[in-house]
Amino acid sequence: MTATMPQTGSRRLSTAKAMVEAIGQEMERDESVFVLGEDVGAYGGIFSSTTGLLDRFGPTRVLDTPISETAFIGLAIGAAVEGMRPVVELMFVDFMGVCLDQIYNHMAKIHYESGGNVSVPLVLTTAVGGGYSDGAQHSQCLWGTFAHLPGMKVVAPSTPYDAKGLMTAAIRDPGPVIYMFHKGVMGLAWMAKNQRSIGAVPEEPYEIEIGRANVVREGTDVSVVTVSLSVHHALDVAEQLAGEGISCEVVDLRSIVPLDRAAIRASVAKTGRLVVVDEDYASFGLSGEVIASVVEHDPAALKAAPVRVAVPDVPIPYARELEYAVLPTPARITEAIREVMHP
Amino acid sequence: MGTVDANTRIDLYRTMVLIRSFEEAIRAEYHADKKPAWDIGAGLIPGEMHLSAGQEPVAAGVMAHLRPDDAVTATHRPHHLAIAHGVDLNKMTAEIFGRETGLGRGRGGHMHLFDPDTHFSCSGIIAEGYPAALGQAFAFRSRGSDAIAVAVAGEGAANAGGFHEALNLAALWQLPVVFVVEDNEWGISVARSASTSVASNADRGAAYGMPSTRIEGNDVQAVYEAAGEAVHRARAGGGPSLIEIHTLRLWGHFEGDAQGYRPDLDQVDERDPIPAYEAALRTDGVLDEETIGKIRTEAAARVEQAIQFAKSSPTPDPTEARRYVFAGAN
Amino acid sequence: MTDIVFPAMSKDNAEAEGVVATWFVADGETVAAGQLVAEVAMDKVDMEVTAPVAGVIALASAEGDAVRQGEVIASIT
Repeated sequence: MTATMPQTGSRRLSTAKAMVEAIGQEMERDESVFVLGEDVGAYGGIFSSTTGLLDRFGPTRVLDTPISETAFIGLAIGAAVEGMRPVVELMFVDFMGVCLDQIYNHMAKIHYESGGNVSVPLVLTTAVGGGYSDGAQHSQCLWGTFAHLPGMKVVAPSTPYDAKGLMTAAIRDPGPVIYMFHKGVMGLAWMAKNQRSIGAVPEEPYEIEIGRANVVREGTDVSVVTVSLSVHHALDVAEQLAGEGISCEVVDLRSIVPLDRAAIRASVAKTGRLVVVDEDYASFGLSGEVIASVVEHDPAALKAAPVRVAVPDVPIPYARELEYAVLPTPARITEAIREVMHP
Repeated sequence: MGTVDANTRIDLYRTMVLIRSFEEAIRAEYHADKKPAWDIGAGLIPGEMHLSAGQEPVAAGVMAHLRPDDAVTATHRPHHLAIAHGVDLNKMTAEIFGRETGLGRGRGGHMHLFDPDTHFSCSGIIAEGYPAALGQAFAFRSRGSDAIAVAVAGEGAANAGGFHEALNLAALWQLPVVFVVEDNEWGISVARSASTSVASNADRGAAYGMPSTRIEGNDVQAVYEAAGEAVHRARAGGGPSLIEIHTLRLWGHFEGDAQGYRPDLDQVDERDPIPAYEAALRTDGVLDEETIGKIRTEAAARVEQAIQFAKSSPTPDPTEARRYVFAGAN
Repeated sequence: MTDIVFPAMSKDNAEAEGVVATWFVADGETVAAGQLVAEVAMDKVDMEVTAPVAGVIALASAEGDAVRQGEVIASIT
């Protein structure tokens, strides 16, 4: 149980409730928006991503599906092509293997293959992340895999405020958006949570621009570029290291595609040092892309070799001791920052 | 009720009691250190836990016909099948507790139990154990063995693509496989009637060209008889079969599932298959108080031994977390 | 003063313990009637708790502490 420290004077929600509020407001505004997936109805999503929506909008707009990802994601694509706006949930991102063709060969390519004549305004929501012993097939992040395949935007909010704004933007986007919510930022009652999983959220609808990162903490010594749950860990570490005189700038990417390369470069131009924290696998993914964004642009920007803190290329282990040896923990983030400060 | 002899009936009962005893013990261990604030990642057994109470007749009835060299593929709810197939209980329990002495050295966990000695494996991706079973059956036949593969999945899996591909290929190539569908009525929170377009997956098995049957009543002896036919057919080179078994999920989908979506919650305990079978055996004079007591005591002792083995086993070394990614020198 | 008590969530067990899983407001904050103030949990059922009246809230229970049904978890003046 991790306690939250609400700031005074504003309405606060958990990330899960903020995400649901966005979907509900869009469903009220636009009757072509509908929700489908496994256990999204009465259960409300197994990570509370759709709580209450069935009661509000009924079973013609909130649909429980069989365990048939290819069929129901394909269905969502077809409905989107005909002008509806589905919010379809892939329960765990780890299940992408059974339906990846629909996602990367169809959802992501139809607009291009049709010369821009056919759009797929679809949001694919999916739960990502580990840290609670769910093992190799239920703990992955995989944003690097989706980001690598052209034609789909990929977002991963870390806070309730961003969760609502990015969901609204994703639903209104004319193209496909993969919305990846880390189970550890949802603020669930039954999973240890970082205090930043609860936060102030405006009641009215608003959008956050997809493709724009957020400097969540300004600093001068090192740029810590990260996304999702790792943002919380990076902020915790930054607070602690400030006491030692290390000034960390923390950049929350919020979107992986489009990647806000300008924001990354601007931060590194200021600090000259780069630590990338990425809960996805280390090789061939997001962390390498962030580093490449910097060195391709200005290799002289870096005063020291960049350091990435990611999951080493290993299936996520079940036993807690092993899992926490591979996750990008605050201890590893701290070590990486020290390394880049004193190479 | 056919011709199942008394000793077999007692064995079936004994297997079911052992499974239930194990699941009850794991359930208690799982929750013990997660109070009062329930944290899924906390305690000696962290993570998700999918227990098989109520589904014992499937495991006992089917596995009774298998040899250790027969393969079994199972799902995220595997304990009853592993126990009935003879997977080493100590190593299985140690794996659930995430210890170095576990089947997967703590790396797999309760949904990923692999036991080469009994050709048992399971996975958390729905329906993905069906294709694997085909391969094991293919290997056995290629080597001239009459070992077979049994693939077990839930009724929810019967709507997933891999299920259909596996059935077609098994029938086409006449592989020695027995497909078992455990219809426990629920795919997490979604009732079968809301997920499946047909009343019986035996119709789907037949549609793919294999002898298929559906067993009602969670009846361990009916399962035993149907499984006997299917196993015999496969072993004799007669190709695959499908058996759908209407069983019962006594508890939640996972531990911690409040089951607010389930309207029959108050009637579930009345349908528990073990007291019903015990009563039938008493009536037939096959079991008496003393034998029942002995069976229960032995089961509890065996389970306790396994749990103590697990608890006293070392936890894995974190510096070895990357070991075993690739085969060969590590 | 209006008390907010831990709701009745266990059918069978009057002595069952739950927790306040999340406070959405801080001690001493001004809340509106109907505002979401907490999420409580018992036996893995989660329930939202809203402020019955407007006023200043004083928290009586910390997140994660064991609480019985009917116990006061906060009060509003």
